[in-house]
Amino acid sequence: MHPILRSRRAYAAYLLAWIPLALVYAYLFAVGGRIAWLESIAVTVPTVFVLSFFCLFPFYSCRALPLGSASIRKVAISHAIPAMFFSGVVLAVTHLVLAALDRTFPTLRARFGILMPALAAMVFLTYLLSTALHYVFQAIERSKQAEVLSREAQLKALKAQVNPHFLFNSLNSISALTTIDPARAREMCVRLSDFLRSSLRLGERTSITFGEELALAQTYLNVEQIRFGNRLQLVQNVDAGCSRCEVPPLVIQPLIENAIKHGVATLVSGGQVVIAAKLAGDKMRVTIENDFDPDAPVTSKSGFGIANVRNRLQARYSASAALDVDVRDNRYRAVLSVPYVKGKEIRSA
Amino acid sequence: MIRALLVDDEDLARGLVREYLRNEADIEIAGECANGFDAVKAVAELRPDLLFLDVQMPKLDGFEVLELVGCDVAVIFTTAHDQYAMKAFDAAAVDYLLKPFDEQRFRTALERARRRISEKIPAAAGAELKAAAQVPGQYAVRVVVKDGTRIHIIPVKDLECAEAQDDYVALSAGGKSYLKQQTISSLESLLDPQQFVRIHRSHLVRLDCIAKIEPYTKDTRLAVLNNGKRLPVSRAGYMRLKELTGVD
Repeated sequence: MHPILRSRRAYAAYLLAWIPLALVYAYLFAVGGRIAWLESIAVTVPTVFVLSFFCLFPFYSCRALPLGSASIRKVAISHAIPAMFFSGVVLAVTHLVLAALDRTFPTLRARFGILMPALAAMVFLTYLLSTALHYVFQAIERSKQAEVLSREAQLKALKAQVNPHFLFNSLNSISALTTIDPARAREMCVRLSDFLRSSLRLGERTSITFGEELALAQTYLNVEQIRFGNRLQLVQNVDAGCSRCEVPPLVIQPLIENAIKHGVATLVSGGQVVIAAKLAGDKMRVTIENDFDPDAPVTSKSGFGIANVRNRLQARYSASAALDVDVRDNRYRAVLSVPYVKGKEIRSA
Repeated sequence: MIRALLVDDEDLARGLVREYLRNEADIEIAGECANGFDAVKAVAELRPDLLFLDVQMPKLDGFEVLELVGCDVAVIFTTAHDQYAMKAFDAAAVDYLLKPFDEQRFRTALERARRRISEKIPAAAGAELKAAAQVPGQYAVRVVVKDGTRIHIIPVKDLECAEAQDDYVALSAGGKSYLKQQTISSLESLLDPQQFVRIHRSHLVRLDCIAKIEPYTKDTRLAVLNNGKRLPVSRAGYMRLKELTGVD
C-alpha cells in the first residue's frame, strides 16, 4: 500500500497539500473561463479530490520502472499513457459533477465546455508532476537505505576486526609467558593494546590511507608473531607510492587474518605470508599470498571475511574495485584492486 | 602415575599446561605434539591415560584425533572457541577448558580426569561418538581413516559407496578401498541424506554414482554404478531411492 494511505495523519497532510493546487485550478477557471468564483470552486473541489487520489498511482509505476532501468523514451511513454488515461477519467468525473450542479447553476455546463481542454492539459501535467515527485522520494529512500547498509557493514567489519578467538588465544599466550618470560609477556600486552587501539581509531573513519592500514596490519602481525614464533614468516613488498592511496579502513587486515587462520595455522612447520602492493595505471593492486595445507580440517566460517570485504568494496566503489582470490600450488592468493585516490593521513594526538 | 600427552599447535599454550602440571606429583608428561597426525601416532605409541587436546590444529582437528585414537583415554579439551563445548560433551570429554584458564580451573579439570581414570569407565568407540556429536543439518565434508600408522583423509565428495563388514565399513573412493572401524549406520548419519542412500542393509551409495537399476529377483534389484560395480538393492532400499529421485 502507498505509504501516504497507511496512516490517517499522512493522508490528511496530503489532502491539505492539495488545497493550494485546488485554489490555482479554481482561480484559472474563474479568471480564464469567466465564471463565478463560487461556480468554479463547486466544480474544482470534487474534481481535484478525485485527481489527488489518482496521483498516488505513480508510486507503483515508479517502483515498477525505476529511473535508469529503461530508456528515457520508454519511461516517458510508460508514464504518459496513465497520465492520458487519468485525464480522461477526470474529465468524465467533471462531466458528472456538472450534471449534478445543473440545478444550482443552470448555465454552468454550457459555459464550462470551453474549459475542458485546459482542464485535460492541467490534469495531465499534474499527474506527470506527481510522477516526478515520486521519483524524487524514491531516490531519497534509496540513499537512506544505502547509508544504513554501509553503517551495518562498518559495524560488522568492526566486529570481525576484533576476532574474539584471536583475543583469547593472545591472552592465553600472555598467561603462559608471565612465568616463562615476563618481559615478553609485557611486550605482548603492549603489542595487543597497540593493535586494539589503532583498530578502534581507524575503524571509526570512512577512509584511511593504505599506509595506515598497513601499519595496523603490522601491529596485528606483531601479536601473531609471538603466538606462532618462527612458524610465521612475513615478506613485504610494497611500492613507496602506495602508502598515500585512500582505502576504506580494515579491508586488508581481514585478508591477513585469513592468511594466518586458514594458511599458516594449518601448516605444521608454518609458512609465508606475502604482502605486496603496487600501482598499475589508475589502480592500486594489493596482493596477500600465503601457503596453506589443502588437506587441513575444515574450520567454520571460512570465506566470511572475503564476502565482508567484497560487500564493502561494492558499496563504496561499485564496479571500479575488485577482490579476486585464486589457489595455485598450495598457495592462496587474494588480489585487491582499488582506484588510486590520494588520501590524507590524520595524526592522532 | 597418570601419563599425559599435550596436544596444541602453539608452543606457548603447551608451555602453560606444562607449567600447571609441574606441581602435580601423580602426573607425568609422556609427550607433546603440535599437530593432529603426530597426536594420533603418539597416542598409539605412548598409550597415555590423559590427553590435553586443542581443537583447531594443522592436519587433523581435535575431534578427528579423538575419532582415530578410539576413546580409551581421558580427554580435556583446551581451546579458545566455546562453540565446540556441546560437541566435546557429546564426545564424552572429561572437561572443556576455555583459553585463557587459570590454575584453579585447571586443577578442577584434573580432579575430574583422576576420577574418570580411576573408575576405568570404558568409553565408546571413537567413530560412534563422532556420529553422536554430529550437529543436525550439518554434514561431514571429510572422513578420516587410520590404516596402521598411516592416516587417510577422504573428502566426502570423492566417496562413492560403503559396505558394512562386521564392525567395520569398507569405503570406496577414487578407485581405492579403505577399511574403517565404524558401523554403516553411524557413517550414514554423518552424510547428507540427499546425496547418500542406504540401498541395502549393508550398502550405502552416493546417488550420483548409480548408473542404472536392474531387476534381479522378485523382490530385489541390482544397482549398477558408474564404475561398473553391481550392488544389491533391497525392497526398502528401492523405496528410499524412489522417494529421493521421484522416479518410478
